[in-house]
This record gives sequence, C-alpha cells and structure tokens, in this order.
Amino acid sequence: MSEGAGALAGLRVLDLSTYRGHLAGRLLADMGADVVKVEPPAGDMARRIGPFVDDRPHHDRSLFFWFYNLNKRSLTLDITNPRGRELLLDLARATDVLVESFAPGEMARMGLGWDELHRLNPALVMLSIAPFGQTGPYRDFEADDTVLTALSGMLYVNGYPGRQPVRPLGLQAYHSAAYYGAIAVMCALLARDREPVGQWIDLSMQEAAAAAVEHVAGSYFGQNFVEPRRGTLHWSRFFRVARCRDGYVMHCTLGDWTSLIEWVKSEGKAQDLADPRWEDVGYRAEHAEHLFDVLDEWVKDYECNELLERAQALRQPYAIVQGPEAMLKDEQLNARGFFVEVEHPELGRTFRYPGAPYLFNGTPWRVRRRPPLLGEHTSEILRDELGLEPAEIAALYAQGIV
Amino acid sequence: MGSLALQGVRVLDFTWVVAGPVATRILADNGAEVVKIERKVPPPLGDRKRGLQCDLHRNKLSLALNMGHPRGLEIALDLVRKSDIVIDNFSARVMRQWGMDYESLRRVKPDIICISMSGFGHTGPRSNFVSYGPTLQALTGYTRLMTDIDGEPAGYGYSYSDMAGGFTGALAALVALWNRRRTGRGQFVDLSQLEAVAALIGPCLLDLTVNGRVPEPPLYNSQEAPAAPHGVYRCRALDGDDDRWVAIAVRSQGEWNRFVEAIGSPAWAAEPKFRTLYLRMRNRTELDANIARWTLQRSAEEAMAALQKARVAAGVVSNGADLCERDPQLKARGFWPTVARADGSLTRVSGVPFKLSGGSGSVRTIAPEVGENNDYILGELLGMSPAERAELVAAGVVWP
Repeated sequence: MSEGAGALAGLRVLDLSTYRGHLAGRLLADMGADVVKVEPPAGDMARRIGPFVDDRPHHDRSLFFWFYNLNKRSLTLDITNPRGRELLLDLARATDVLVESFAPGEMARMGLGWDELHRLNPALVMLSIAPFGQTGPYRDFEADDTVLTALSGMLYVNGYPGRQPVRPLGLQAYHSAAYYGAIAVMCALLARDREPVGQWIDLSMQEAAAAAVEHVAGSYFGQNFVEPRRGTLHWSRFFRVARCRDGYVMHCTLGDWTSLIEWVKSEGKAQDLADPRWEDVGYRAEHAEHLFDVLDEWVKDYECNELLERAQALRQPYAIVQGPEAMLKDEQLNARGFFVEVEHPELGRTFRYPGAPYLFNGTPWRVRRRPPLLGEHTSEILRDELGLEPAEIAALYAQGIV
Repeated sequence: MGSLALQGVRVLDFTWVVAGPVATRILADNGAEVVKIERKVPPPLGDRKRGLQCDLHRNKLSLALNMGHPRGLEIALDLVRKSDIVIDNFSARVMRQWGMDYESLRRVKPDIICISMSGFGHTGPRSNFVSYGPTLQALTGYTRLMTDIDGEPAGYGYSYSDMAGGFTGALAALVALWNRRRTGRGQFVDLSQLEAVAALIGPCLLDLTVNGRVPEPPLYNSQEAPAAPHGVYRCRALDGDDDRWVAIAVRSQGEWNRFVEAIGSPAWAAEPKFRTLYLRMRNRTELDANIARWTLQRSAEEAMAALQKARVAAGVVSNGADLCERDPQLKARGFWPTVARADGSLTRVSGVPFKLSGGSGSVRTIAPEVGENNDYILGELLGMSPAERAELVAAGVVWP
C-alpha cells in the first residue's frame, strides 16, 4: 500500500443506493475505498434533482448528485435485465461491500437477495438502508427525509411552543442514516478480520435519526418528561438566541460568569444578575428565562461583530447566528483548508467543495476524482474488472444493458 | 456467530459532555471495551443510572484517576500500552498539557490511534477556543436558516452537532483501525466538530460555491425531489394535547392521485390549480390550508395510517411519548432495550440503529458510576495487587 493512499485503499464497494443511502458510499470513497456507483442506464434519479450548475438541468450538472457522489466511479447497468444481473453478480464476487437502498424485499425479487449474494461471496458485507429497516409493521411504509425526521423525534422539539415544528436544514435523517451505515460497514469489515465471513446489515433510517437526537429519549426514560419546543432556548437552558441591532447572536452562560457579568455591569445593564446566587451554574439554568431576558436587553443595541469581538477577548463562547455563506470567509475553516478546489475538466472549470469532517495525519481525506459523469467508467470496469472483449462491451451498449 | 463486531478492541476514553461519549458509546455498543478515565467529582450532568447519562455511558467502564498526579499519568500511559484507540474531546491544549498528545503516546505505543474531537480542530487561530453544540450550529447556518414561518431563527432545540460529531468520531476510529490492521500503522485524527457539522449541511453549500446562491430557510420546501403537498399539518388533539402534527410528502402524480382518494376526493382537490406538481407548488398556501382541514378532523395516527394505506409518505411528528411508548415500529424492532441496575431494577435506553446478521450491537451493562470499575481496570488489566491498589487510593492517585 503506497504512502498517500487513503485509509481504506484496497477496499471495494458496489453502491446500488440512490438518494436514501448515497452519502454512506461517499464517506467510504473519501477515505480511499474504490466505490462503484451502479446506476440504471438512464442514470441515478439523484441526477435529476437540483440545484444544477448555472441552473441548467442535466444529468451531469446536478449539484445534489455531486455532493453525494464525490470520489465514486459510475457504471451504468440494467440489473433488471438477466445479463445485467449476471454482470452485477460477477462484480459482487470480487467486492467487499455492497450498499443498497431499495424497498425491503426488492433485492431478493431481483434475484440479488442476501442469501444469493452470501452464497456467491461469503465474505461480502451487504448494507441495506431502508426507511424503517427490513422488518416490523412499517417495513413497507413510504417516507422521505421530512417524514423520517417526524417519526424519529428530530422534528417535534425544534421551534416555538404552540407553533409549527421546525425542520432541520439539510437532509439530516438521511445523513444520520448514512453515517451509521458507514459505521456498520466498518464494524462488519473489522469482524471479518476475526472470521472471514460477511454480514448483512439491516439499517433503519428511522432508528438512525432517533439515535441522532440528543435528549428526547433520555428525558422520557429518566424523568418521565416529554420534551417540548422552547423557541431558541436550548434544552440544557444555557443557550438562547438574542436579537442585536443588525442580526442575531447565541448567548452562552457556561463561560466564565465573573468576566461576563463584570462586562454587563460596566454598561449598567446587569439588573439583578450581579447577585452572587447567579454564580451557581444550576441557578442560572433554573432561571434561564429571566437571565436571558436581562441579557437580551443588554445586547439589543450592539452590532453583532462588535459584541463578538469583545466576547472573544473575554473568552466568552458567544457566536453570531449567521447563514452558511459566512463560512466561506471563516478564518478558522480557511486556515484548515476546509473548502477544497475540485477540477471539472469536462466543464473547463474548478469548483469549491466543502471538505473533510476529519483530518487523518497518516492517510488523509482527499478528493481523488470529481463526481462521475453518467456511465463514465462503464467500459473500463467491464474491460478491466470483468475481462470483457470490446465486441461484448459494444453489444451490451447496443442492447441498452449498459 | 453471535459475537460482537468489535470484540477485542480496547478504547481509552477521555471524553465528556456529549459528542465524545456518543462516539465511544457506538464503539462500546458494538463490543469494544471502553475504559473511561474520569475525575472523582464529575461535572454535575445527572444520574448515571437513568436517562441521558445512562444512554451515553452504558456498556462502558470507569476508572477514577487523578491525572494531576504523576503516578496517575503513569497509569494512564500503562493503559495506553494496552489500548488500540485513545479518544478525547477537549480543546487542543488539554491532552498536550498532560503529555498525552499523539506524539507522546506513539513513543509509548507506536501503533496507537488517537482521535481528538475538539470544537475547532488542533490548528488554526481558534484551535484553543471552547465550543458547544449551539455555538457551532449558530456558526454554520443551522440556527439562522431553521426558521419559524415568520422568519425568526429557531434552530435545533438540542445539540445535533454533538450527535454528528459523535458519529463522525466513531467512523474515524473504525476507519483508522481498519487501516492499522492492514499497515501496522496508527495515526492521529484531528476532528473538528465545526467541520463535521458544516460538512453535513448538504448540496445547498455547493449551490452557494458554484452558483453563488445564498441559502435561504428551507421551511417545508422539499430539500430533495420536489414535492407538494410537503410539510407538517396540525391534527386533532390527543388526550387534551393539541400539539399534534402529521408530516406528509407527496412527490409523483401517482402519489397525488392516491392522496386525493385517501382523503375522500374532496371537490377542492379537483380544481385545475392543483392539477400538476408545478401548480401545487405554486399554490401551496391554499393547498396546505385545504389539507389542514382534513388533518384537523383526525388524530395524527389516523392521518398517517390512512395515507400510508394509500402508499403516501406520512408520519406522526413524534414527541418523547410517541417515540418511547407508542411507535409500533420501534417497539417491534426492539429499539428501546432494557438494562438492569445493580439492585435488579430496570431502566430503558436508546438502542443500536443497525442490526448485523452475525451479531448486533447491544446494551449489556448500565452506565458505571465514576470509579465503579477501578478494581477490574487496575487489577485485571494492569495486574496490580489489592495492596498496590490500596496504596494508590491512600496516595490520592485513584479515588475509591
């Protein structure tokens, strides 16, 4: 294994998943696994979802597809065709991991179920991502990300009391499921080091999203308490959003209380907060509404930047409540190279992608290839991995199988 | 068969609060032996034998070790020699001050894997800043763009970034371990929770960098394939609680046709302005008002059942009781396992969101009190006699 290869170099993954699971494969691809996205000849449906480069819809210009398919290769293959299915089985023989997100039972109906694949390649790890998993009364129910955030508890606790719950930014039920999916794959691969047998992973997106909610189950089981919506007051009661003159900031009452209150006092805005009982962190939580009301009065004439500069000088963990666009100019993210340039030679352009969630010092996260064009690697995979002759490949194209 | 995937993996766990403990919980659930190094007086976060603290620390072991004592540091290094992975979620300077940073630890154990889950990462101008989930969510855009319908920021009611940092940390540990088993080399993973949660925002970040479009609050516009109706609708009260909602997503024309039939084919649904997806999206305010008239007459559960029967995506906006008591799917799959306390009483905790055919992760032991496993860790792992252990307690190195 060469220096500079990713941590997962040598790992081979077939990714049959679509919008429900495609981040899982990308997480593995980012770390160096060879992830082949197997798409129907008309293309993964994610390619039809916007936004698009320059707002021009095209299967090779979908930013939705790009985000989730960086570092993968693309093979078009009609797996509902008997010859196409055979080719997939041939690929599955030599692969470590297969990821799929079809409706439960669909793989088996296509003759690609776990029993079949396990017989063919006993070491194969298969990850099945489904909204409610492979069993249970909701097994065949329909869901999108929003419905999953609802049924997992991700939704109910965001927003203002009495008003409509507020949904997460981004597809966080899918994202949580993809992370847990990649974790499950790694667990199964590590188990294979002990005994060279693959496993079938039954991942429920509902459960994965529920496992990405911090406090709801704990409060229910621990205190028999049903967590409500509290506006912007964090459930821990140490954080709340305040309005400044030109925007919003996030208060935090977990920093050094003395220096915070000295500052507020020096501006004559402390009211009763100078009382020593507020030094107790539990007291601050208990009386958070009053505490934040006083602090709101204090910050309301500030400009966000002015407040933040002074807060940072006092090491108060305050933050500006800002849009994602502010990250482009964030000195911390830029110092660490969070945004990376990715060349798209087919468009003659280079684009900035959000980058690594972690920096590995030995085997770095890296962009090895831009997201694949539709079927970009079909010929090379048929030739190099399946050993097909040019004439056979041409026939498969002619028959619309690839 | 029936064995846990991470059996034989040992993790030395310096994490606290939420993000780090979520990462090590995932490893512990799947069979790793997780040894928590803790101060005798833990931060007042709550009872370990129930609720969130039990959720976070179940399946782990606890050693109450005085890291401020030279002999405490030596014991920590002895444990590093017997571990595969060391995880912390301090800001960058803490482990360095103890001499427990990666460069020091690899001298003790050359193939050690160190995962540091700091707020801002180990490099850059803010590497030593303290961060919390809500501040990271504010900085990355979640709080600003998760607005109420009137445009006021609402954000998450909790620290999603702690959960995201947690599963990102667990994945990093497993990837590094897979690599070590093939190359013999350990490594240092510098995980910035800011970056972990920023990377999860999704394709709207590319719309920003590629098209220059500043992201707007998504409200209930679909963030995937276009859909209308798409949103949450108020339902009939349940036992006097009128905070009841159902989420509905109708994407294709076929789904729309089935949806209309499922709600009894009301006259409004046949109006031309709702005929196509494009028109439904354009007239969504009126569409939503019509649908709310239907949902208000039934419970969220009835609305969900009627729509799912017609194969339309719909789900109760579940609160804690819905999730933990009523949801038949989570119950059928055993997502809320029971774990026993020392006195035999039982409590429930969150389960493991994936099943492995050869042996799924599980909840086996309740969260330990600080120092509960001192004897096992010092005696079994480090081979100290009872007399040596007593001496350490007397010297204030280990707290009983």
